[in-house]
Amino acid sequence: MLRFSPILILLCFVSPIDGLAKVVDETEIDQKVREIAKTLRCAVCQTENIWESGAPLAHQMREAIRERVMQDQSAEEIRAYFHSRYGNYIMMEPPKQGINWLIWLAPFLLLFGGGVLLWREVKGWVTQTPASQPPPTLDEASRRRIERELHRNT
Amino acid sequence: MIIEIGHFSVVIALVLSVFGIVSSGLALRTREADWVRVGRMALTLIFVLLSLGMAALIYSFLARDFSVHYVATNSNSQLPLFYTIAAVWGGHEGSLLLWVFILSAFSTIAVWLHWRTQPAIMPYLIGMECLVILGFLLLILFLSSPFDRLIPAPPDGKDLNPLLQDPAMVMHPPMLYMGYVGFSIPFSFAMAALLSGRLGEEWIKVTQRWTIFAWVCLTTGILLGGYWAYYELGWGGYWGWDPVENASFMPWLVGTAFLHSVMVQEKRKMFKVWNLFLIIVTFSLSLIGTFLVRSGVLTSVHTFATDPERGLYILIFVTAIIGIAFGTLMLRAHKLKSPIEMDSMVSRESVFLFNNLFFLVAAATVFLGTLYPLMIETWKGAKVTVGPPYYNTVFMPIALGLLFLMGVGPYIPWRKASRASLKKNFLIPVVVGVVSTVVLFAMGIRSLFALTGAFVVGFSGVAIFIDVGKISSLYARRESVNLLKGFLSAFTANQRRYAGLVTHVGVLVLVIGIIASTVYQTEKVVSLRVGDEFVIDDYRVKLERIHGVRGKNWSAQEGVFELYEGDTLLTKLRPQKRVYDASQTPTTESAIYAKNMGHIFLTMPDVSADGVAVARGVINPLILWVWGGGGIMGLGVLLNIFRPRKRDE
Amino acid sequence: MTRTTQITILVVLLALLSLFYQGLWGDPRHIPTVLVNTRAPVFEGPDVESGDPLSSKRYKGKVIVVNFWASWCQECKVEHENLLRLYDEFKDHPEFVMLGINYQDERPKARAYLQRYGSSFPHMEDVKGTLAINFGVYGVPETFVIDKQGIIRHKWIGPIVDDVYTNLTQNVLTPLLQKADTQVRSYEPST
Repeated sequence: MLRFSPILILLCFVSPIDGLAKVVDETEIDQKVREIAKTLRCAVCQTENIWESGAPLAHQMREAIRERVMQDQSAEEIRAYFHSRYGNYIMMEPPKQGINWLIWLAPFLLLFGGGVLLWREVKGWVTQTPASQPPPTLDEASRRRIERELHRNT
Repeated sequence: MIIEIGHFSVVIALVLSVFGIVSSGLALRTREADWVRVGRMALTLIFVLLSLGMAALIYSFLARDFSVHYVATNSNSQLPLFYTIAAVWGGHEGSLLLWVFILSAFSTIAVWLHWRTQPAIMPYLIGMECLVILGFLLLILFLSSPFDRLIPAPPDGKDLNPLLQDPAMVMHPPMLYMGYVGFSIPFSFAMAALLSGRLGEEWIKVTQRWTIFAWVCLTTGILLGGYWAYYELGWGGYWGWDPVENASFMPWLVGTAFLHSVMVQEKRKMFKVWNLFLIIVTFSLSLIGTFLVRSGVLTSVHTFATDPERGLYILIFVTAIIGIAFGTLMLRAHKLKSPIEMDSMVSRESVFLFNNLFFLVAAATVFLGTLYPLMIETWKGAKVTVGPPYYNTVFMPIALGLLFLMGVGPYIPWRKASRASLKKNFLIPVVVGVVSTVVLFAMGIRSLFALTGAFVVGFSGVAIFIDVGKISSLYARRESVNLLKGFLSAFTANQRRYAGLVTHVGVLVLVIGIIASTVYQTEKVVSLRVGDEFVIDDYRVKLERIHGVRGKNWSAQEGVFELYEGDTLLTKLRPQKRVYDASQTPTTESAIYAKNMGHIFLTMPDVSADGVAVARGVINPLILWVWGGGGIMGLGVLLNIFRPRKRDE
Repeated sequence: MTRTTQITILVVLLALLSLFYQGLWGDPRHIPTVLVNTRAPVFEGPDVESGDPLSSKRYKGKVIVVNFWASWCQECKVEHENLLRLYDEFKDHPEFVMLGINYQDERPKARAYLQRYGSSFPHMEDVKGTLAINFGVYGVPETFVIDKQGIIRHKWIGPIVDDVYTNLTQNVLTPLLQKADTQVRSYEPST
């Protein structure tokens, strides 16, 4: 399972610490396993994926993924396999289909709908008050004073 | 004996809470100040009695009295002292007692603090707080008492869940609860305002510091939880969108919206109903969070109890409080019709409105995501998982929108922004934002999150920078001092505004940390024997030896890994695979080395019998910015709370 | 606040209330299986006690009860007596087969367990845990019933005790064994 790249082996010969040290590295298979494992939920844990979980079942599931990766199955095929055994529950996110579109789109619909509603409401408020209406005089006076003071100092 | 004293104190406190409610009612009916004083006395005594109850429980833990059921299930004779304290609120019963204890402390302080200035509010405040206290005490005494005896006493206790044996867990629950409970004060004031018809800005001004205080506690609590997850759970992440985390995040989001929205009412006397609505929703979410965590409705890593009876009670209680709050709001809302005057679409007021919209949609998203599995199960009888990938996708645009508004908001004037002022204030920030995106793109970064993040962070950061620069030089020139002193006097002259901006800067730092540590995390998992090494990023990690280590209540296999950068030995990392004696539960303890504001995070999840260790290395760039940003946010809030009082406050 | 807003808030709160109320009675660990009414996977492995290879192919055309268990599992001990009883009740039926699958266990511990609590039907060792994953198993004990056509007709998570036993034997097994091509709906008692 450990694959040694020639460059890395060379590296460890020049390493001053221990000439006999092996340099181990992840294989492509390891990386694929990780990618897939991160998208599947550990069935016995709560909202933890198979990759992060320390549960024995998660371990076996990782091994099952590895076996399938080594048989050259694609990530989609492997996910489909787990899905066929455990249903939607095993996927870390709800599949984008059927009623699940509700949860995928709701935030954006809320944002858009709320935005439009708010915009219209605010527009209504703005037109209610004539723009020409002067602000309270005291405000104006103090603002002038402030501006005067500021200018004197700058 | 001690625990019985505690139990008895809490029983008396329950009686007194009824007393408090009755006396506030009488105070309102008869208009006699004596009844209010009786209420105050009742509330103060409740606080004293609950302190006794708390002290009795802590004492039983420290004395290792395993004849107390709760002590026996949550601690062990070998549990270190420090974690024995954490164990007091490590379980369902104790954490509820802590909740109500903090509530009694806060309400007592609030009553004494505002006694003189807010006499008309007092009966409502006392009544409302006593009502919530009563609700929790009923739950504690009848459905989840930490004071029950276990006869015959076991020779030793089961252990506290090893995952909770962590320094952060000593402070995390109290901070979180102080946040939840802190919102009950503005909530009660809001209810008092509604019920008494004093619907001006007074309740907001009085409770402003309470709100900020609650907010900072909640923020700290959430961050501590993340810190704990990061160190203790061993997968190198700090936020898992777990239902329990979500339960604390929802009141935070709405509470933050409230924090901003009240400014509009203070300055422009608008959005009165809206602010009442927000604080009611914030406190309701705190209660719903408690319900979700305590009832077992949602399963989660942290869920303590699965008990329909308990859940049913909490549900009834929470419904009652929320029902009273919303009912009152609906009945009184017509009195609150404040004339809304807006001069322009482009004004500070409308930015605040959109800020509120984004925060509420964010909260609704978390709410929906948390409850969606329950909804699907109820409707269709099927299980579905809503995990981090969903939130990361959906939440990102909302969060970036909020950050953008954060940059815009402080620089749009109240009432009306002219085209010229927009150009003056935002031309440079926009340019800088675009430039930082382009630079990142040129550096080969393609993550949409990072690229849009760069624009927003650049934009908001520079806007703040220009503002601070301008005002500092203005003050410096006016007082003929240097820039730093100018900055200081500008700061103290407008401390509320600039304390707020400090918090904004903290948010920016936090966001940079989050983007860097999620998008640019590198991870490697290898199996290796002693003497072998692996390369991760620019580092070499070499397993020097594996040996046994013994702790007070655990034993572990410890891997000693040498961490090299080039040929330089940076440190020796010692991740462990522990097994706790009492529960025989295994945990993985991470070893961390900080470099360039990032972390090299190492765990050793497994060691086989023939000496092959599995090592997991994670490089989290800029992760310290996450905690640092949190610290800056906290600093901003402290500067806000302890600002010199102005005359109108 | 307009009437519409009031009504909206009211409706939302009531919906939430009923949702939470419903949620209180659900078992968070109960996960409906997607495998009922699908073809059962082929499963093979060594016999726990003798070490001889066992295979589901040998039981083609029979009604098979498959029970996942482990020596470390408390609830398995609770149901073990009932499993033995169930086997005794049906063992004389020529088309009945019962099989235990030992899950995430060590062989010596599993053998000791069987010696202590009794063993009458064969047990297969799930060496790599792949059998369990094929059956979509979350934990132990879990019990499946496969019909003569090789279709999974029933699944139960948790121990076979009391009315679960009655339901399994009377409503699931007996009809399946009686007719050649029975369609049994997966029926779960309301506990």
